[in-house]
Amino acid sequence: MKTLKRVQRWIAAGALMGAVALAANDGIGTANAQAKPKKDKYLIYLSLSYSGNAWQSEAANVVKALAKTPPYDKLVELREVISGTDVQAQISAYESMIAANADGVISFPISPTALNRTVKRGCEKGTLFFMYDGTVTEPCAYNVSYITAGFGENTAQQLVNALHGKGNIFLSRGVPGNSVDKRHTDGAMSVFKQYPDIHVVAEYYGYWDDRTTQQETAKALAAHPDVDGIWAQAGENGAIKALQAAGKKLVPVTGENSNGFRLALANPDMRAAGLQGVSSGSPPATAAFAFKLMMEVLQGKRKLDTHNIEYPLPWVPGNQVKVCAGDKPENGCNTFPAGKVPDSFVTEVFNSRLLPELSLQSALKGEATPGQTIQPLPADAVIAAPDQPGINCQKCSQRADAYKLTKVSAAVK
Amino acid sequence: MLNSKASGTNSNAQPGPAADNLARGEDTRGAVKWQRETVSAAGVFVVCIAALFLSRLINPEFGSLHQLQTILTLASFLIVVSYGQGLTVLIGGLDLSIPSVITLGGVLTAAWMSTLAPGGAWWQIPAILAVCAAVGVVNALGITLFRIPAFIMTLASGIIVYSLCLGVTGGTPGGAAPASLVTLMSGRVAGLPLVNLFVVVFCVIAAFVQSRTSFGQRLYAMGSNAVAARIAGIRINVMTVSTYALSAAFAGFTGMMLVGYSNGATLRMGDPYLLPSIAAVVIGGSSILGGRGTFAGTIGGAILLTIFDMVITSLGLAQGWRTMISGGLILAAILLQHEGALDWVRSIVRRRRSTTTRI
Repeated sequence: MKTLKRVQRWIAAGALMGAVALAANDGIGTANAQAKPKKDKYLIYLSLSYSGNAWQSEAANVVKALAKTPPYDKLVELREVISGTDVQAQISAYESMIAANADGVISFPISPTALNRTVKRGCEKGTLFFMYDGTVTEPCAYNVSYITAGFGENTAQQLVNALHGKGNIFLSRGVPGNSVDKRHTDGAMSVFKQYPDIHVVAEYYGYWDDRTTQQETAKALAAHPDVDGIWAQAGENGAIKALQAAGKKLVPVTGENSNGFRLALANPDMRAAGLQGVSSGSPPATAAFAFKLMMEVLQGKRKLDTHNIEYPLPWVPGNQVKVCAGDKPENGCNTFPAGKVPDSFVTEVFNSRLLPELSLQSALKGEATPGQTIQPLPADAVIAAPDQPGINCQKCSQRADAYKLTKVSAAVK
Repeated sequence: MLNSKASGTNSNAQPGPAADNLARGEDTRGAVKWQRETVSAAGVFVVCIAALFLSRLINPEFGSLHQLQTILTLASFLIVVSYGQGLTVLIGGLDLSIPSVITLGGVLTAAWMSTLAPGGAWWQIPAILAVCAAVGVVNALGITLFRIPAFIMTLASGIIVYSLCLGVTGGTPGGAAPASLVTLMSGRVAGLPLVNLFVVVFCVIAAFVQSRTSFGQRLYAMGSNAVAARIAGIRINVMTVSTYALSAAFAGFTGMMLVGYSNGATLRMGDPYLLPSIAAVVIGGSSILGGRGTFAGTIGGAILLTIFDMVITSLGLAQGWRTMISGGLILAAILLQHEGALDWVRSIVRRRRSTTTRI
């Protein structure tokens, strides 16, 4: 018994010393990160807020793949920082990047407002900030996003058209309190409100996640089995799974860009059972586009006259789903066969015009496509985004036609 | 040898309940007749039925056979995971590593048994459960050998396991669900969902193990008084290790079920189960300090939480109100399970009985 106690004490002491050594090592590591980098390379930080779903890691992977593609492999030193879902952690990550004299930060921002002060400080120190998908309202940062392109109102109109202006629908939303979720839902409601025969019978949060969406949809279906259509943000594949599990007929579903959803939209059996809809929404390609833009600005090849850059809204109705034969999105194909990628894979990671360097390996593993070199962006690649208060500007007003339909027109009165 | 030893300790441990029976034969006071655990478990089920009837006011579809199947399907995850949680609570512990172990089970299932790369075999299910159980063994070793409080040890190991999943998958768990699990979660036998039948069988076996086997009795003994249990010859360390291993294995199995349910794993798939797993146990009438509670009560707690969740979803309220209501309902349910509430009911019954005899 006595020896056991002694052993315990020794192990405890060892663990303590180990912890101290680790902490010291960590401190030295931080100090090194803050040393001035070699100036023959651009020091770029990739700041992710949350790694844990297919979308985030694809967005990070394509940036990494581009940084490995010649000639960027000789020009860029890319460091990745994942700071979780906590905005304080991302603020302190930005602070240490500024302290390390980063040339550029490419980031998925957690909050449109909370990071502003740090971003402003970084701009003053000469660090370029490029935000993708999410946005910040600090005017010195560059936002590259599809948010202003009208996902909510266009998909809502598509759903109304499919239902001939009449029916009970679910709203499967994203993360409560998130500005992107609010913009999408406001856009959708602007359409639904015009149709008195469209009734929103359930509204729930799927956290942009297939599993949560499936469970929440199953609960809503138990209460309202008479649903006629589902308007969903990301996680839409879970909504379809819940409909199938309920064993009832399928209904029109609009959602975002998961591979599983697109395969379902194209599946003849499921179409016959009543499924139709459109795949639209958030493209991880914005990360790669933002990175290429940032590199062109850093190299002096491009001057941007706007800070808010709009990425065109992906739009693939069920009848336009085309399954790819190979590992590259060629000949207008926009979906991969089941078994090649997980259901949750987001196919809008490619863009043959802006990002011809990318292949499936880039999106899944962050590897450069063999034989590819970086192609310059087309001269007309940049589209200025309209002002959207609370999303990409603070003291500005929304356009009167902010929720104008761009992809689909009202087919019913 | 092992058998004789087990039966030896068994006969040592048995006198407790036996003496209890003897005492019960003589003692006919109401307090003993109404066993606290039975009342708690029955109460939870009564509340479940009441909640179902009330929910019909919101939507007439509530209470239909189809809806009952949905409730049981959605509750199945919580039932399995809170059985493991309930065992650790029974011995006076707590398992906060459950969300991470669910994720671990799910990630391993999607990776090893994926239909994307055929080769999914039956032996992989026990292999994955063994990996998950190993996390529980580490938890228990920390708790018993190094005297680390259970909630700190399991919280720490949970963070480590989650980070391992994040690091190894690089953020994207690959793969899809194997056919066997898809069948379990969405197959139908004679018109009934297979998963409902599975859960019923699971509940019967689990309740039997907890209340009728010597293993279960020893858990109660440890939770009531660990020192007395050790003196009575129960090997505390072995029991603790097996309890935490079981808890982790059930969490891992929940991860497998979730993969089968929605055809893939994500890194946050376990998050929604931490607090409900504890709440189901406590609502079911178990003491959070250990030594008291039944699995039947926990099943009721899990089903009740699922019904609450479903009703709240269909109310169509703003998210803030929804979470407030669900927090309030959990609080109310736990208050009803409080010792005082039962004594109050008893005193009312007794008073009424005494008035009737007087008349």
